[in-house]
Amino acid sequence: MRRLGYWVCEAVTNIRVNQTTTFIAIVTTAFTLACFGVFLLLYLNLRGAVSSLQDDIKVIVYLHDNLSAQGLADLQRRLGGEPEVADLTYVSKDKALADFRTQFPSEQSLLQGLGENPLPASFEVTLAPRYRSTDAVKRWTDRLKAVPGVAQVQYSRDWIDNLATMIGYVELASVAVGMLLAAASVTIIANTIRLTLYARREEIEIMRLIGATGAFIKIPYLLEGAVLGTLGAMLALALLKGGFEFMTLHLGLPSQVLGLAPKLGFFPFQVSVWLVLAGLLLGTVGSLLSLVRLERSRV
Amino acid sequence: MIQLFHVWKHYAKRPALSDITLQIEKGEFVLLMGPSGAGKTTLLKLLFCAERADDGQILIQGKNVARIKPSGVPYLRRTMGFVFQDFRLLQKKSVFDNVALPLLVQGLSSFDIRRKATEALKAVGLEHKKESRPAMLSAGEQQRACIARAIVNSPLILLADEPTGNMDPDLAAEIMDLFKTINARGTTLLIATHNRQVVEQVNRRVVTLAEGKLASDVGAGQ
Repeated sequence: MRRLGYWVCEAVTNIRVNQTTTFIAIVTTAFTLACFGVFLLLYLNLRGAVSSLQDDIKVIVYLHDNLSAQGLADLQRRLGGEPEVADLTYVSKDKALADFRTQFPSEQSLLQGLGENPLPASFEVTLAPRYRSTDAVKRWTDRLKAVPGVAQVQYSRDWIDNLATMIGYVELASVAVGMLLAAASVTIIANTIRLTLYARREEIEIMRLIGATGAFIKIPYLLEGAVLGTLGAMLALALLKGGFEFMTLHLGLPSQVLGLAPKLGFFPFQVSVWLVLAGLLLGTVGSLLSLVRLERSRV
Repeated sequence: MIQLFHVWKHYAKRPALSDITLQIEKGEFVLLMGPSGAGKTTLLKLLFCAERADDGQILIQGKNVARIKPSGVPYLRRTMGFVFQDFRLLQKKSVFDNVALPLLVQGLSSFDIRRKATEALKAVGLEHKKESRPAMLSAGEQQRACIARAIVNSPLILLADEPTGNMDPDLAAEIMDLFKTINARGTTLLIATHNRQVVEQVNRRVVTLAEGKLASDVGAGQ
């Protein structure tokens, strides 16, 4: 217990004595983690948005005008029995025309010259969750096109898939930037600890002479690195939260992204905890790097 | 207790110790004499594993120092005490904390640390200064604090490198008296010095080195 007290006391003393280098290490770690956090925030929100859009996806099955009432009933029964179909709504030609007039009141002139109602009847199909992937939808719609009575099948999948691909790139960029910035954080913390080690090299030598083991000497410096990393991560979270609130409240920038303002959010608590743990890990790794050099140089 | 057999140590191909063979029995008080550069400090460094011998064997309490792994060195050092000319006290810590440090390193309980550190400070007459920082002490007091740290874990061997190097004769005599008391309790002492007055005062076995070689080994009273 007394040893633990000694280690904590030594770590706190190191931080207090080297205030400037400690401050620089914390701020730099905070900025590097914040940069990574921006990518992570963007990635998580876009992924959430796409997932939400995928849930809303509908397939429109347009029907031939000459489809008989019996053919319509058969097709409705057949579609209703498909495992891909979660919900099915019939939109008659008249309903389609009424909807068009409601939605596009200024474009009525387009229909006037055509005489009879040119809009086809259709089924609006909501897909079952298991069949919402790009491949599943494509397979099903291709099969559907060959069914008698079906004129055309349409779904708004492409642009959502493009967005999903883009998110894949954001994910890659997040990992690349994250790794780069993590390396920067580790180096900065390693240098901070190295400065502390250099300043205290005589003390370390004395500790060795009185029989202190390597672990006993190193633990305060590992604690110091962990504390620096943790504080850096907490500051990064505060910066990100501040920036996020500022953007949503004052600039309204995220609301322009896909019109998804209500669905955008900050990191969930669990992700925030992981980010702090990542800071702790980076700090500890930075310390370890310095201490490995200490072991080699024997100061 | 300490045995050296044909020990050699070189620095930049120049021999710092040449073919040293020496035995020190348990409870002995040995003065290691010789001018600067004679190899006294090198010999002490070999004994507390700060350096490794190039050739020859060194046995401490029957253990071959050359065979001790780096991870085992701290445990060997815990059986010895060291006293340095420049004291090597931690300036940011109190005298008590400095003296308690070897016990803390060994993982003793708070109660035992307090008891043993207080005993060691009493033994060197420095109990009243236990809260002071080393910088607030005189040279003599700092050396006593260093001795207290060296004896706090009741070592079997105590090594000292020029412990009276920067002291006036009276202070040096006081410190040597302290060493005699420690030796009387059974601790084996090996003290490197070039101070002739110390030799006369202590009147114990004197091993003399000259240019890294064993020049003489004279017993007490001879």
